[in-house]
Amino acid sequence: MRSIFNNGKTLTPTLSLTRQGRGKQIRSLLPRCLGEKVRMRRIVLVVAMGALAGCQKAPPPPVTEVVLTAAASLPAEPGDAAWQTAPEYAAKLLLQDMVEPRLLQPSTSEVRVRALHNGKEVAFRLEWADATPNDTPGPAKFSDGCAVQVPAHAGPSLPAPQMGEPGKPVEITFWTANWQAIVNGRPDEINALYPHAAIDGYPFKAAALEKDSPTQKEMAVRYAPARALGNNRGGPRTVPVEDYLAEGPGTISPNKAGASKGTGRRTPTGWAVVITRPLPESRQVAFAVWDGAHEEVGARKMRTGWIPMRQP
Amino acid sequence: MARVNNWQLGREMAYWYPENRPQKQFAAVFDINKCIACQTCTLACKTTWTSGKGQEYMLWNNVESKPYGFYPLAWDLKLLQMLGGSDWVKGAYPGQTIFESAPAGKRALGWRPEERDYAYPNVGEDDCAGQIQNGAGLQVPHLTWFFYLARICNHCTYPSCLASCPRGSIYKRQEDGIVLVDQGRCHGYQECVQACPYKKVFYNPLTGTSEKCIACFPKMEKGLQPQCFVNCIGKIRMAGYINTPDKANPDNPIDYLVHIKKVARPLFPQFGLEPNVYYIPPIHAPDSFLHQMFGPGAKETIATYRNAPNDPDLAALMCLFGCSEKVMPRWKRTGDVVSGLEEDGAEIVRVPVREHIHIRQAFDEKYQIARVNCP
Repeated sequence: MRSIFNNGKTLTPTLSLTRQGRGKQIRSLLPRCLGEKVRMRRIVLVVAMGALAGCQKAPPPPVTEVVLTAAASLPAEPGDAAWQTAPEYAAKLLLQDMVEPRLLQPSTSEVRVRALHNGKEVAFRLEWADATPNDTPGPAKFSDGCAVQVPAHAGPSLPAPQMGEPGKPVEITFWTANWQAIVNGRPDEINALYPHAAIDGYPFKAAALEKDSPTQKEMAVRYAPARALGNNRGGPRTVPVEDYLAEGPGTISPNKAGASKGTGRRTPTGWAVVITRPLPESRQVAFAVWDGAHEEVGARKMRTGWIPMRQP
Repeated sequence: MARVNNWQLGREMAYWYPENRPQKQFAAVFDINKCIACQTCTLACKTTWTSGKGQEYMLWNNVESKPYGFYPLAWDLKLLQMLGGSDWVKGAYPGQTIFESAPAGKRALGWRPEERDYAYPNVGEDDCAGQIQNGAGLQVPHLTWFFYLARICNHCTYPSCLASCPRGSIYKRQEDGIVLVDQGRCHGYQECVQACPYKKVFYNPLTGTSEKCIACFPKMEKGLQPQCFVNCIGKIRMAGYINTPDKANPDNPIDYLVHIKKVARPLFPQFGLEPNVYYIPPIHAPDSFLHQMFGPGAKETIATYRNAPNDPDLAALMCLFGCSEKVMPRWKRTGDVVSGLEEDGAEIVRVPVREHIHIRQAFDEKYQIARVNCP
């Protein structure tokens, strides 16, 4: 897995501070008159004293919504310096414990979100902590992932934040580390998952069939029924995201009008993912994060409620 | 959860969906005593359905040695341990099914097989239940024993895979009760893999969906038995359709074996799924083991089976196993001949109950020459 730090782009200290944990985020919110190198305990004390004494400079107000910051072009990579121009909103994640199969033990506590738009599209940058990368499919193996959800239509009455409700659809863009690994070049072969697997042969690779001929390709698809039906959950793909519509839990269906893009990269502490989609009418958004090591898949996930989006 | 009737448990039980029995229910009888574990069924299925990428490890049909063979590893022992047990009381099971003991947040009790659990199909192949002691002679039941258990999807009346799928991607066909995973809808969450107590749903890592035995429905739709049935060397299998006990039809071979003669029993009925593959238990294994695996009637079943030579109808019907590729919805015995019939009574196949014996004399009187046994 390629690290975001290998792409030659350097992040400014401000961003890297916020990347390294919640303690340092607190520091970035402190009055600038305070020294950066003061130890945390002392900071808390000094903050209290400063508040009593009346500090000259007020701290920047906490980010309470996802701010859609204008940008001429939208960065595709999560490590792009352009993300520094967008404020970061730390969204607390909740257990999905409303519908079976429910998640009963919390895992990922928050996802940090930045958003840039160019008037037509919006790019979200999601970053969260996850010590164990899970991007390989298999029995009892689950992939890390994240999703962005917006109401399909703007209106005074919001759909239920858990996947919408009948008559009030939501649009979801879903990214998984498994699809990212495929896009990054993992071959569509069992040996890519199990290097020592010995294969006697496949009927669609018989010597009598001309490789990559229409007959051979048609036969190969016939031996992968989900692909034959256009349900590409694990096959070759060009983007690591998929667009869905949903009108309640368990109702996700492909959004054929969707053309979202995405890129996810491993960070030293977790994942950073960019999801780019058309700028929605609605100014509400919700997020979800799956931790594969915690057997999170489908409904077993950490999620947010609706979060307002503001376009300055 | 709804309340549904499970005749195998002799009581009502909890299930995620209300009772909705199909018009016809696919069912099968496997005679374990005839199985030699040649795995021809396994290969017939493998070459027909699971030769694709990501299906390499999948065995929709498998044959495992009991008590120490498994696929996946310890599939039955792990669940039995999680579920606990109960005595049967007058033919009814008062203990908890996997639905009634579902943990918080889930729809059924189950466990997740990992890669290594699939890595050694039938690891205990031909391992006996103990050591052969000096002086031990052959007796029935055997002092040390094993038997072969051929397994496919049970196309359960109350499928746990279906109940557990949060997307409703698994369905039970009204026309024949066959349980299928909709490959266009499945998102590969593997809830069904965890929930199926028989571990007959498999995750395909290269399609990203879960796949399972389809009872060769394209064949069944044409009145033909599935591949693993017609390729069986030992002729241990018969496919057909089963009625509930109150509607048992003695002319239906499956009904006759399961309901009338009670010579075939479901696999782990206590799990609560009302599985529709019925087994004639092995005659040489201990009663307690068979009681756990096939329910409280196993002992009587073996007595009935062993008495088949004195039971002309049962003996006759046993002769129809593996005698036609066609599904035989009806049957009849006429003297020493048994016939497999279509629904309308048209004859499909006719089989003698006893093989005719012809003794070939060593000396050919006509040609005045001694016959030899090699060309």
